[in-house]
Amino acid sequence: MESNKKYWKGLEELQNTKDFVEKNKNEFAESLPMEEVLNEAGLSTVTPRRDFLKALGFGLGAVTLAACQKTPVHKSIPYLVKPEEIVPGIPNYYTSTFNGHSILVKTREGRPIKIEGNPNCILSKGALDAKGQASVLDLYDVSKLKGPVLNDADTSWEKIDQFVKTELSKTGGKSIRIVSSTVNSPSTKAVIADFIAKYPSAKHVQVDAVSYTGIIKANEASFGKAVLPRYRFDNADVIVSFGADFLGSWISPIEFNTQYASKRNAAALKGGKMSRHIQFETGMSLTGTNADARIPLKPSEEGIALLNLYAALGGAVSGGKKLPNQKAETGVMLAAKELAAAKGRSLVVSGSNDIATQTVVNAINSLLGNYGTTVDLDNPSYQYTGNDADFVTLVSEMNSGSVGAVFFLNSNPAYEYADPKAFTDALAKVALRVSFADRKDETASLCQVIAPNHHYLESWGDSNPVEGYYTIAQPTINPVYNTRNAEQGLLIWSDNAVQDYYQYIQNNWSKAGLTQGATGWKDLLQKGSVTMTAKGGGAYSSAGNVAAAVSAIVAESNALAKGGDNAVELHIYESTGIGNGKLANNPWLQELPDAVSKVTWDNYAAIGPKYAEKLGIGENDMVTVKTDKYEVTLPVLIQPGQASGTVSIAVGYGRTMAGKAAVEVGKNAYPFLRLVNGTLQGNAAATISKAGGIYELAQTQTHHSIEGRNIVRETTLKDYLKDPNHGTGHGHVNHVDLWNEYEMPGHNWVMAIDLNACTGCGACIVACNAENNIPVVGRDEVRKRREMHWLRIDRYYTVNDNGSKVTKEDEMEDMETMDNVSVIHQPMLCQHCDHAPCETVCPVLATVHSSEGLNQMAYNRCIGTRYCANNCPYKVRRFNWFNYWNDSRFDNYMNNEFTQLVLNPDVSTRSRGVMEKCSMCVQRIQAGKLQAKLDKRTLKDGDIKVACQQTCPTNAIIFGDGNDPNSEVAKALKSERTYYVLEEINTKPGVGYQTKVRNTAEV
Amino acid sequence: MRSISLFFRSVTKSLILVSFLAVAAVSSASAQDVAAGGAIFKQKCTACHAVGKVVVGPDLKGVTERREEAWLLKWIKNAPALIASGDPVAKEVEAFSPAAMSAFPELSDDDVKNILAYVKAEETKPAADPKAAGGASAEGGSGEISNFMIFGLIAVIIIAFIVIVVLNRVIRTLERVMLQKQGVLVEDDEVVPGDRLAGLKRLTKNKKFILFVVLLLVIFLGSAGWMGMWETGVHTGYQPVQPIKFSHQLHAGVNKIDCQYCHTGAFTSKNASIPSLNVCMNCHNYVTASDKYDGKTSPEIQKIYHALDYNETTKQYGNNTKPVEWIRIHNLPDLAYFNHSQHVSVAGIECQKCHGPIQTMEEVYQYSPLTMKWCVNCHKETEVNHKDNPYYDRLIAAHDKLKKGEKVTAAVLGGLECSKCHY
Repeated sequence: MESNKKYWKGLEELQNTKDFVEKNKNEFAESLPMEEVLNEAGLSTVTPRRDFLKALGFGLGAVTLAACQKTPVHKSIPYLVKPEEIVPGIPNYYTSTFNGHSILVKTREGRPIKIEGNPNCILSKGALDAKGQASVLDLYDVSKLKGPVLNDADTSWEKIDQFVKTELSKTGGKSIRIVSSTVNSPSTKAVIADFIAKYPSAKHVQVDAVSYTGIIKANEASFGKAVLPRYRFDNADVIVSFGADFLGSWISPIEFNTQYASKRNAAALKGGKMSRHIQFETGMSLTGTNADARIPLKPSEEGIALLNLYAALGGAVSGGKKLPNQKAETGVMLAAKELAAAKGRSLVVSGSNDIATQTVVNAINSLLGNYGTTVDLDNPSYQYTGNDADFVTLVSEMNSGSVGAVFFLNSNPAYEYADPKAFTDALAKVALRVSFADRKDETASLCQVIAPNHHYLESWGDSNPVEGYYTIAQPTINPVYNTRNAEQGLLIWSDNAVQDYYQYIQNNWSKAGLTQGATGWKDLLQKGSVTMTAKGGGAYSSAGNVAAAVSAIVAESNALAKGGDNAVELHIYESTGIGNGKLANNPWLQELPDAVSKVTWDNYAAIGPKYAEKLGIGENDMVTVKTDKYEVTLPVLIQPGQASGTVSIAVGYGRTMAGKAAVEVGKNAYPFLRLVNGTLQGNAAATISKAGGIYELAQTQTHHSIEGRNIVRETTLKDYLKDPNHGTGHGHVNHVDLWNEYEMPGHNWVMAIDLNACTGCGACIVACNAENNIPVVGRDEVRKRREMHWLRIDRYYTVNDNGSKVTKEDEMEDMETMDNVSVIHQPMLCQHCDHAPCETVCPVLATVHSSEGLNQMAYNRCIGTRYCANNCPYKVRRFNWFNYWNDSRFDNYMNNEFTQLVLNPDVSTRSRGVMEKCSMCVQRIQAGKLQAKLDKRTLKDGDIKVACQQTCPTNAIIFGDGNDPNSEVAKALKSERTYYVLEEINTKPGVGYQTKVRNTAEV
Repeated sequence: MRSISLFFRSVTKSLILVSFLAVAAVSSASAQDVAAGGAIFKQKCTACHAVGKVVVGPDLKGVTERREEAWLLKWIKNAPALIASGDPVAKEVEAFSPAAMSAFPELSDDDVKNILAYVKAEETKPAADPKAAGGASAEGGSGEISNFMIFGLIAVIIIAFIVIVVLNRVIRTLERVMLQKQGVLVEDDEVVPGDRLAGLKRLTKNKKFILFVVLLLVIFLGSAGWMGMWETGVHTGYQPVQPIKFSHQLHAGVNKIDCQYCHTGAFTSKNASIPSLNVCMNCHNYVTASDKYDGKTSPEIQKIYHALDYNETTKQYGNNTKPVEWIRIHNLPDLAYFNHSQHVSVAGIECQKCHGPIQTMEEVYQYSPLTMKWCVNCHKETEVNHKDNPYYDRLIAAHDKLKKGEKVTAAVLGGLECSKCHY
């Protein structure tokens, strides 16, 4: 059945604004000076014969001279003593740890060039997120410090050690504090414990920029366990989330993506089952876009909704109130019904950092019997262990002058604390201030001593992200700059018996009995992690004080919704790409389009379309958002699905001292955080007002129009179970051919993308950047639609109006709110069409078909006519407008000789004036084939994994040989849900998509 | 000059030889065959021993005085057995180095005696060394001088010629000036050349002739330009001077060292890789070519030592290392991906197919043009080495069906497609 549902990429397209229509007529964002050249003046200009000859002569001369360049002499410098394990041209892989996930680091000739998940990792299962993929670029960041700094002057480590030791001995009765973000490394903890043993006045304060203290404290109150539980979305049939963006940023997104998809992927559907996901939230988060039902809520309503849910499930709530929003109330009742039907197989989570709210969540999960099945308190997570109150205490201690020395380890409170002024004022009263930051960041610049820490790829380390799981980090390159492990510093300053951190880790591991099961240290390094037998997750029943929580929640709700002129409820969130801002200086992440809004290089104030209309604010208008303690002026992004009367702003932007890429990118939203009942809250009552002026956000979303074609296809679980073919649009394609079939006697490289598994997280985009040397073009070029990503994730909005389909624009105009939008993410890359429209228009045969089904692009043959891009129905071809690797205007990463070390030597960097596009990682295909030939065997399915597939946490992308009937991809493409984008124009794409299935329920 | 120095050199050489032989003959009381001993010594002992120098094993200078001949006979023929028998001297010698002395059961007592005679003869050799070194330096010097002389002479002749020409012209001008002053010579100058060039002048006015000349020029320049442009960027025969005068002719040709011994990557990687210096040191630890340099290490081999900061006596690498900067000869552009292992291991192509008669090259030059045409032509002709490689089974089966009897070339298997080399 052909779907007649209306999909749109952005509001401009939906409303068909004049600007959008005008823009879409043209191939390019800016108008070409065609008229100027062809107008009368241009044509009637007299070009004297002599001028012409002069120009000709000069041109010829210049070209001749330019061609007379001497052939450069290339040096070839072999190793003096070659390390045994290195063979030039062959990559080595080492295990290491990123953010508690075991990873594999690909190194070539001794330099790390790509990060991949370790298939042994129990959290990631071999996948990785955008941040992990991008982290390799930070190794080559030129903004980092080149050596230790003492009082703003470069110095040596000996002088640093001498200075710090002397100062520490002078602290006297004053206390010493080590401030860090969450430390879950057993060895770092031991080092800090040893340090504290030497200096008994020392204390370790852990504080996270985006805090989870609320959950930890609530668990302490409810169960006597001050831990972050391990959530098991793979055991949950019904998931109800209140503002927890668990697929994008909440606690452990890679793990949750993997778990979440396991209940919704092709295998689950084959079994006729699919989890049901209901999301209540303010802003449109990545998780919200994936929900089967999404109900927009104001921050003030979230707690109330939870209370009502608790009450509906049979919990005792006295003093609660009704939600002002009738639709939300219905949603809560529906959720209650479904949760009650799935006791022990359901999960309720909340993104709030409020202890009272989390106490209610605990009560609900306890009521549903979810402890032991979907919430595991016995094998808790140590990914976030920070405590907001501890840091608040520290600030007052520092302010009172009782702190003599403070150390900052992976912590930057001057930027990420809710009250930076109070912090910096208090810090000035501390005698010894030491930062281990790798750059002179906001906090480090206020410290006397900066003892730059290694990048994680340069250092030894370990981590214990969840109970019973330990990973090890090993250096994959010699330290690039004169840096030192922070732990090494602490060992030296505390006169530890073991001063070498590597030795210390080894001792610590054998002391803690972690080397058990491994035949030795080397064996351990090869595996990368140790997994202990998990404890049986027992059932728990909540003993939290719900009555107290109710009054706290209601009071807080009333405070948030206090009303008044221009009143708006502010919602602070963490974005998927930039996250908490620690990786803000990473150009790959800055150019990664936001998972929902597709905005790059900026944060913004997101408000709903109808609400914006009411306020008289348009897209890109500058607005001032003001609370009683802080204000920022940001451009507006009109976000369909945003709760009316709210504004959402992302943290992680507005870094002032992180480096070149991060500077002048967005505004800092951390100071909006409020301390309520001992935890920092990401919501506030605010006012919004027009600030005047317009700032164009660099969005990749609106660049092309889909012209009303059926590009994304979806169905509902009910329809799918009745007819698996439902929604694929099969039966409308006419297979009459003008061209001959291509013979593919050997391999036929094809891909299958499951829209139901894809959550749109964007890890694949960064993986593709790293693998294929894709340039970063910067904000201005993105505005001109010149981003270079070979793989993009298209996000389509559509409207669900109580189950009935909305098909016409005017119907949508009439709708009261634009709240009830639903979203589909679609990874879009070169489709490697067998009848590729690009191939037939290339005048120089730069793009031709291969006998293995690939659409090949020979860069050095391309003359840049751009006919192919114009003729590509999928708009996946990218044109190099500049020499991004040799042009000071694009000083992002490729232009720097040092940062260029991250480039993949097997992929050529493209020159100005040529077209490029997804090659299906042909370098990996060739390498895989060669390995098979060298081993004298046939190629096995799974030998070759393309970069996007390798990193996908949900296995939404499957690549392989279509000629092999037993390959995963061949099986996936045989699925009834398979359809090809624009099948009807008979391009015969090599990439098949599987329809999105929504588990919609009858309201 | 050159011949004189050569003569001197040969005379000194023969003098040294004669005196050496005389000394040797006198000193070898047991009248053992020094030459035979030398041959065996070079074949079996030089890997670990030298006279007057510690290599792997101890310095053999004075060994005949240090140890009894009977013990030496036993030791050389079967050292491990002697150690096992608990001989105290053997134990002491064993402690010298962790590398054990091998057994040589194939040597007869006479052979060993010959070797010892040779060692003894070698001990006395240093006496003649200074002269030999002097001879060598004289040779080196004379070579330089002769080159300098030749170029100098040419330069002098050229300068003299130029001086003569200039002087002649000056004299002529002066004469003319004098004549003009005297009023003798006025129109002569114009008339004489006019007469001489009259024929040429007429030719320049002949349009057919001009057309012919222009046509000729166009054809000549055009074809030269065309050929030149085809050769742009083609560096066949490129033979830069390398920092070390490494001879493939000696290593691969004479000594028949397998290519893979040094270019280890060729079998497994995209890069054939220039060997790291520790690979050189596998042999040049003891192969010092000192016999060609009168007992001293060859200056080219010394460059390896220098680069590694290698101490010949302690056998240790130092810290003051300086990598060798070889000049790359085969420069494939970055836009083309080439993988050695595909060609060497999978296809089984000889190195010489692309690199030419490398085993005869004293200095390496680029043998093949490395143009795309050259690659493509080979891919069109080369049959795929698909025997015993199951990877190709499916492809071959498919092609067998399609093209019975035709040969399966790299091109047939998609070897001409862009993305095989460009990505």
